[in-house]
Amino acid sequence: MEQLTNLVISDRELAFISTALNKLMNDTNATSVMLIDKSGQVIATQGIGVRRNATSLGALLAGAFSSSRHIAELLGEKDFRTIFQQGVKENIFTTIVEEQWLLVIVFDKLTHIGLVKVLSKKASDEMGRILERVRADTSRTKSSVINVQFRSSVEDTIDLLFRD
Amino acid sequence: MALINIATHEIHCKIVYYGIGYCGKTTNLQHVFKSINPQARGDMLSIATETERTLFFDFLPLDLGTVHGFRTRFHLYTVPGQILYERTRLAVLNGADGIVFVTDSQAEKFEENVQSIAELEMNMRRIGKDLGNYPFIMQWNKRDMPSALPVNVLDRYLNRRRVPSFEAIASDGKGVFATLRAISKNVMAQL
Repeated sequence: MEQLTNLVISDRELAFISTALNKLMNDTNATSVMLIDKSGQVIATQGIGVRRNATSLGALLAGAFSSSRHIAELLGEKDFRTIFQQGVKENIFTTIVEEQWLLVIVFDKLTHIGLVKVLSKKASDEMGRILERVRADTSRTKSSVINVQFRSSVEDTIDLLFRD
Repeated sequence: MALINIATHEIHCKIVYYGIGYCGKTTNLQHVFKSINPQARGDMLSIATETERTLFFDFLPLDLGTVHGFRTRFHLYTVPGQILYERTRLAVLNGADGIVFVTDSQAEKFEENVQSIAELEMNMRRIGKDLGNYPFIMQWNKRDMPSALPVNVLDRYLNRRRVPSFEAIASDGKGVFATLRAISKNVMAQL
């Protein structure tokens, strides 16, 4: 069978991601920032606002983004690269990174959307470079984690947990 | 796409339940939610219409705990089954690591099942994946219904790829965990 495409994120790259997210959060004065995979899985978060609901937010934001791209298609647009969701207190700006990740910035009325747009573009470029390295590293580092013992232990855990 | 985060020692995989409207996809997730050890699951999220039909997706995060130092998580999703939500199904399929096709075994649903599986094949091609090289299993649901077709008939016409299949009555919980075990192992084997 064909191998699935995985992404393996190392300590080193996660540290770069966290630094970039932290910088973006501080420079925009955002309440939280997140990096999620387009499949909805959360890679990293900064700020306290989203941490508790990060898993659900990841699934919903990725779903909303994926859905918006199909809307673009139906309108004859190439795609929508960002989404802006505006609330009374909190706003969310989401932008895509190299067709793979989503960079999410949660901010309140103290932050101007223009600042978020400009700085998220810069941060997205930086994330794109990190993603390129993550892709290059993936096949090399995967075998250190996913070995025979791991697979066999996971199977045992599945049998134990997923039963009537 | 499975995500292996070495820094946080986490592995995430996405499993999608696909099939026609009212075939029992949400019922599968609801049974897992109410039967599994509460420590192994997060909140179930349903984006449904006023009549409780799935509008976008249902989402149930499961946590296997720490295995060989890695916290392993499965995220279960359903797609909306109604025909008009084709684009939404495609959106939910994005990044899936494994698929369960839930079949309504009733004879009167046979044609819809055939169309739905053809649509799944097409959607997989659209996202650049070949269902033949993918963690994929079938569930024959609603085996308790009077008009349920024999399994060998369903298998012959709907399971062209001869992937593993499981009989189920999801409303009673029968076959739900057998299906989940099979797809989870299949996904992990492909990592």
